[in-house]
Amino acid sequence: MSEQEIREGMLLAVWDEPPLDFDPDTLIRRVEQKKSRRRALVAVGVATAVIAVASFSLPGLLPRDRDTQLGADTRTNSSAPPSESVEKKAQRIGDKLAENLGVRMTNLKEIYGSFRPGQFIFPPYSTSAPQRPGDPEFSGYVYLTDGIGPTALRVTVSKTSFNKNTFCSGASMCMETRQQDGSVVTEAEFFHGTTAVQQAEVVRRFESGLFVQISSYAYNPSNGSGQRETVPVQVGVLTQLVTDPGIAWE
Amino acid sequence: MRKADEQGFREFAAANAASLRRTAYLFCGDWHTAEDLMQSSLMKMYLAWKRIKDLDNLIAYARKVLLRTWLDEKRRPWRRAEQRDGELPDAADATVDPDTTSAKLWARELVHTALLQVPPRQRAVLVLRYFEDLPVAEVAVAMGCSEGTVKSQTARGLATLRTIVEKLDSSSGRVAS
Repeated sequence: MSEQEIREGMLLAVWDEPPLDFDPDTLIRRVEQKKSRRRALVAVGVATAVIAVASFSLPGLLPRDRDTQLGADTRTNSSAPPSESVEKKAQRIGDKLAENLGVRMTNLKEIYGSFRPGQFIFPPYSTSAPQRPGDPEFSGYVYLTDGIGPTALRVTVSKTSFNKNTFCSGASMCMETRQQDGSVVTEAEFFHGTTAVQQAEVVRRFESGLFVQISSYAYNPSNGSGQRETVPVQVGVLTQLVTDPGIAWE
Repeated sequence: MRKADEQGFREFAAANAASLRRTAYLFCGDWHTAEDLMQSSLMKMYLAWKRIKDLDNLIAYARKVLLRTWLDEKRRPWRRAEQRDGELPDAADATVDPDTTSAKLWARELVHTALLQVPPRQRAVLVLRYFEDLPVAEVAVAMGCSEGTVKSQTARGLATLRTIVEKLDSSSGRVAS
């Protein structure tokens, strides 16, 4: 079989070619439809990817407030977790102070802490004001009820400067004690011309510059009323509260 | 795509669709598959038209696309070839010359039986060399191989085809020239 025969054979092989029904416009339309379908498919894919990425990354970026479900805190220990928000820290310390006070003074009832970042507004929660540079990190009251009636302790946690002389000015007793961790505790009692202690205060200064002040008055400092003969919580208990190793102040 | 480019493609497709389908038929041995291959090739060319419209030899490029499309199609694992289990009865056409018809039928047999038994790349070389009448250099471009490979594939393809045709002729009683 020669090459010429193969050539002729191939030409003869297509003799029964069926009629060609080919329309270039139909073909172009089909291609354009395919292109638009592919574009739509890509758009859906990209959108799905964006949603998937967002759903994974957004929960990590959103602030975890304790009121939200994401920020729901079920921990019971009071040690400070890393990068804890001020709100959570205030709440944690308030709860712990109330718990410890109840353990130390079993005659007290309805003990609970209420703290907020910055300066505590008087009366509590009646207004809200923006935090200013000199304001404490957080402050608030530990509310309690004893045999006389409801009253409160004032608590301030701050990094502003502390002056011992100013603090002890007018005090009948002012005593300073260094703790094992290097912090310094200053206790003071004020009689204000009476025979009973009218004001008891304890300040613990940490080496980091943070200082914690717990004050007990012969009246209710949260509302300025409820005058009584002496303070509801003595300075010794205040010192125990401020030096409690179970409370991570820093 | 701009209207002018689209019109250019439309003219190219209309002018070469039949020729491409015939080549595709000799590749695959089936007119329906040949039409699919031709349309797929033209669709690929339409998508790339902006880039290829200024090529010197567009029909050579089209043949290359057609060959690639057919080879790709053959490689697909899910591709199912038609399984023929019988012959359709051929009705006699009294208007045609019996000698001519006999030659044509033999030629069709050549394609359906002999050429389809040649391995695909060798078959493609034979079709491009002897049906399209392309020089070795152009076949090499279409195949994406060297001219030496085209020559060796042609020689092997011819040998395979001659062996098969001789077998066919001896079984049918026809004398091979």
